[in-house]
Amino acid sequence: MTAATMNRSSLWSVDSRTIVYSAIGAALYGVLVNVVKIPLPGSTVDVRPAFALVPFFGFAFGPVVGLFTGLVGNMIGDQISGWGLLTSYNWSIANGAVGLIAGLAPLFLASWLNRGLSMRAVAGAVAGAIGVVIGLLITFTDIIKDAQDVSTSTTYYTQAVIGDLVATIILVPILVYAWEPVKERLGR
Amino acid sequence: MNFAPRYLGRGSWLARRDPRVLVLSVACFVLTAIQVWDLRLLAGFVVIAFLYYRSARIPFRAVRFQWTFAIAFVSFVVFSNVIFASGRVQRMPDDAVQHVYMYLPLFGTPISAESVTFAVTQWVRFMAMIAVGLPLAFALDPEVLGVTFARLGVPYRFAFAIDLTWRFVPSFLADFHNTVDAQRVRGLELSTGGRGPIARVRRQVPILVPTVVNAIAGAEDTIDAMDLRSFGTVKRTWFRELRFDRTDRLVLAGFFALLIASTVAAWTSGAALLWVPPFMIPGG
Repeated sequence: MTAATMNRSSLWSVDSRTIVYSAIGAALYGVLVNVVKIPLPGSTVDVRPAFALVPFFGFAFGPVVGLFTGLVGNMIGDQISGWGLLTSYNWSIANGAVGLIAGLAPLFLASWLNRGLSMRAVAGAVAGAIGVVIGLLITFTDIIKDAQDVSTSTTYYTQAVIGDLVATIILVPILVYAWEPVKERLGR
Repeated sequence: MNFAPRYLGRGSWLARRDPRVLVLSVACFVLTAIQVWDLRLLAGFVVIAFLYYRSARIPFRAVRFQWTFAIAFVSFVVFSNVIFASGRVQRMPDDAVQHVYMYLPLFGTPISAESVTFAVTQWVRFMAMIAVGLPLAFALDPEVLGVTFARLGVPYRFAFAIDLTWRFVPSFLADFHNTVDAQRVRGLELSTGGRGPIARVRRQVPILVPTVVNAIAGAEDTIDAMDLRSFGTVKRTWFRELRFDRTDRLVLAGFFALLIASTVAAWTSGAALLWVPPFMIPGG
C-alpha cells in the first residue's frame, strides 16, 4: 500500500501493516534524531537528517503512519535524550502534522504519483516540503505554552523549517528511490 | 554513547506504582507548570519534581548524559529566547516597567531585572518538567507499555504500536551502529568531503538508507506473525492486568489537586504573571 496506489478510504485504514510501519518509523526517528545533527552556519538550528523519515514514512505508507512517526518518534527522541516526553509536546504534534500532510499526497499530488519513479520521488520531496511548512506552524503555540514572544516563535519556526526542508528535499527522494525497488521485490 | 532506554528504576518506589501513574503524573505536572510564572510557586514545584524523581532511584551515573544534555539545551533555549525577544518580556503585569541593567554587546538587547527573572523562571520550569518526565523512560517497565496506554484510553492498535516502537528502539540502534561499521570497512569517511551542511547531509545517505530500508524490509516477519494471530479482527486482551492501589490513588490525587490549584491560582491571582524578586530591582 503505497502513496501511488492508495485510494481515499484506504488512506485511513489501520491494519497490522500500518501498525508495524508506524512503530518502525517512530523507533527509527526516535533513535536517529539524536545521533546525527549538522549545524547550519549562521543560525542556532541543526539539520537533523533523520527528520526526513517523518515525511518519507507519511508519503510511502500513508497519513496515519506519518502522523504516528512524527508524533511518537519525536516524543521518544525527546524522552531518550533527557528532554522529556511532554516537555515540548506541541513540537511533537507539529512533527506528526508534517507526516500526516506528507501522507495526504495522493489527495493533492495524484497526477504526479501515477507517472514514473523519478516523478514520485519529486512528489515525495514536494509533499514533505508542504508538510514541513504547514505542519510546523503548530510550533507557534509556544506563544501560549511558554509565553514566547511572537518574533521569537517566528525565528524558531523559520530556523526549524530551513533545517527540516534541507533534510526533506535531499533525503526523501533518495529514500523513495531506494525503497520502491525493494517494495516491488517484496511484492507489496 | 548509549541512547537506548533502560529500566534503571527497577524495584524503586516509583517503579512499583501502577504504570499509568507515571504517565498521568507527567501530563498533570506539565499542564500545572505551564500555567504558572510566579517563581515562588515554581520553586515549590521544583521540590515536588525532584522528590518525585528521587523516588525512581535512577543512578546518576547512568543518566549523566541525559542531564548534561537537558541542562545545556534548556540553558541554550532560555538564552536564545532572551536574544530573540530583543528585550520584550512576556507575562509582566500591565503597569510594570522594566528596570534595565545593561545592553548586550553586539545584539543591543536590554538586560533587565524582568528579563533575567523571566529567563530564570523559564529555566526552572523546564528543569522541573524534565525531572518529572525522566522516570517515564527509566522507571517504567517496558513489558507493560502497551497495556498502560490501552488502559489510558488509547485505541488498542495504537497502544500496541507504542509498545512495538519501544521494543524496536534497541535493535534499530544496534543495526545503525552495524551499518556505520560496515560502511566504514568499505571505506566510507563521514568526516571528509564537503564541509557545507548539504554535503554533510548527503554524506549520511550510505548510513541512513540501508538502515531504513533494512528495517522496513525486515518488518515483513512481524506483519506476517501479527496477521497469523488475526491481529485487528477482535479486540485485544493483555496478559498483565493493571490495578490502582491506595498509594497510586493518593499520588494521582496529589497531582490532580496541584493541577486544579494552579489553574485556579492562574485565573484568580497573579500566579500566571511574572514575579520579580525585590532584590533584583535596582533600589528596590
